[in-house]
Amino acid sequence: MISLLQHAAQHCWQHISQPRQLAAAPECQTLTVQLSLALGEFSLQLNNSLPLNGITALFGRSGCGKTTLLRAIAGLDRHANAQICLNETPWQQGKQFVPVHQRRIGMVFQESSLLPHLSVEQNLLYGFNRLAKQTAVRLQPEQVIRLLELTPLLKLAPQYLSGGQRQRIALGRALLSQPQLLLLDEPLASLDQQSRSEILPFLQRIANTTGIPMLLVSHQLDDVVKLADHLVLMQDGRIISHGPLPQQLMQPQLAASGAMSLLHARSHGCNHHLLQLSVGQQQLQLPAPMHTDTANYSPSVYRLRIQARDIALSLTPLNDSSVSNQLQVSIIGFNTAPHPAETLVQLTLDGQPLQALLTKQSVERLGLQIDQQVYAQIKAVALE
Amino acid sequence: MPEFLTILSSQDWQAIQLTLKLCLYTTLILLLLGTPLAWWLSLSHSKLRTAIQAIVALPLVLPPTVLGFYLLLLLGPHGAIGSTLEQLGLNHLAFSFSGILIGSVIYSLPFTVQPLVESFRRMGPRPLEVAATLGASKLDQLFSVILPLCRGGFIVAATLTFAHTLGEFGVILMLGGSIPGETQVLSVLIYDHTEAMNYAQAHQLSLGLLITAFAVLFIVYGLNRRFEREAIL
Repeated sequence: MISLLQHAAQHCWQHISQPRQLAAAPECQTLTVQLSLALGEFSLQLNNSLPLNGITALFGRSGCGKTTLLRAIAGLDRHANAQICLNETPWQQGKQFVPVHQRRIGMVFQESSLLPHLSVEQNLLYGFNRLAKQTAVRLQPEQVIRLLELTPLLKLAPQYLSGGQRQRIALGRALLSQPQLLLLDEPLASLDQQSRSEILPFLQRIANTTGIPMLLVSHQLDDVVKLADHLVLMQDGRIISHGPLPQQLMQPQLAASGAMSLLHARSHGCNHHLLQLSVGQQQLQLPAPMHTDTANYSPSVYRLRIQARDIALSLTPLNDSSVSNQLQVSIIGFNTAPHPAETLVQLTLDGQPLQALLTKQSVERLGLQIDQQVYAQIKAVALE
Repeated sequence: MPEFLTILSSQDWQAIQLTLKLCLYTTLILLLLGTPLAWWLSLSHSKLRTAIQAIVALPLVLPPTVLGFYLLLLLGPHGAIGSTLEQLGLNHLAFSFSGILIGSVIYSLPFTVQPLVESFRRMGPRPLEVAATLGASKLDQLFSVILPLCRGGFIVAATLTFAHTLGEFGVILMLGGSIPGETQVLSVLIYDHTEAMNYAQAHQLSLGLLITAFAVLFIVYGLNRRFEREAIL
């Protein structure tokens, strides 16, 4: 038993320490949804096929139908004439309806949903103990407990836990039911800032380690940008676009809550507490996170979140500026910004999209045009 | 045996036995019938619910004699149910134990259903949704979630039903009369003793019932307090 635990621990640790894109190939699944629903003012019209791998954020304003869609996928609500298939398996089609308990989904609800009459350990094992005999067990309890750091909580009653701890247990419990798909309904919404930071890294860890695709409902772009690989944008009961997160961030609908871009950069060293990063052929330097172990440095992929208003453009490279991160980019388009005096300039950096918020006056003064090569000065970056 | 018990006649003992049997059967039947009914009432949004709610609550306001009267008409030899039974070669149900059992099931229905509806509502749908997403079937949910979470509601429902049946009088007198060993329960026997001026015997049984009823209600309210505390935690 001890050796099993140690084995599990080592196994688990290897996975955790692997950087994002080097993890075991994630499963790609396809979710097909046909759903048409009208309830008074509210209507939902969906006919989409969504590829799911890694973390997919279902993003939109409150009341746009995100939770309704998630509950229909889970089978918690049954809508007439809906059609829901995961890969080739129909979950709902015509008269056929696979009940919730036979769908291999894990669900985490918005508020704490631990069963109050069970201890943390019993909660964790509730789904695990009910697995069908033929289900392949890929995640063992020891593994999940270690992954989510739940050991000190096991014997407690749910009533004595903080919001963040409860959500972590709910997450572990869902994982142990060996789901094909994890559905997260605003799992962070009821948490304060402190508790959020207790659970965000675990969500990333799960995505990296387990390869189980996740569908995350959120109305906070901040959370989405920290976590998601893909984004499904919903508005007024429809899916208006979906695709990889960096490309989706260029959607003008998202500019209202602060236009931003996401770059994936590969790190290859750390000098004087400055992280050396490369995006394609170009180099960046950023202050390394405080806890970085410079002695045992290992390369990994970072997400760089850059606000559109933190990018300035110039026609020639600037040598007399304090901004040290300067990247050569080309202009691919212009988008309207929320403010009438401003424009969002769409850029590409070795195939990765980037956008800068400039005044219309500046765009005219510099004579910016599509396909033009310019230099982007990046004033601030959030390292995720 | 203490003196108090030795002076109970065999007729008294028979009535005590019969009363306990009636209370027990009524409680078991009502838990079986009342649970699905209460479940439906706690979830349904249909217009029918209001009507069913009113019907379930009727015994709370209706004089037991009215209920007993209609049951007598229905279950007696000329009633729809009674005459059908006779045609099938069975006996009609007036003045029989089965008859008063049906009467007390209807009469105590609100005392089972209302605490259950209350506790199902307090639990809400979420724990069951959680259990379902974790692979629990409906039956599994009943035993692993509903029963433990609504334990308080079930205990309160069962004790109230039991205690209420203990105090039943009007319906039984109308429908069952006073046949020793068949329909002569404690409350009816006390009435008979009083009519016959046997005040001492009436007093013993009355005092016994009084103490039992108090004890049962004391336990119910005690449990209620405990479950409320648990619910707050």
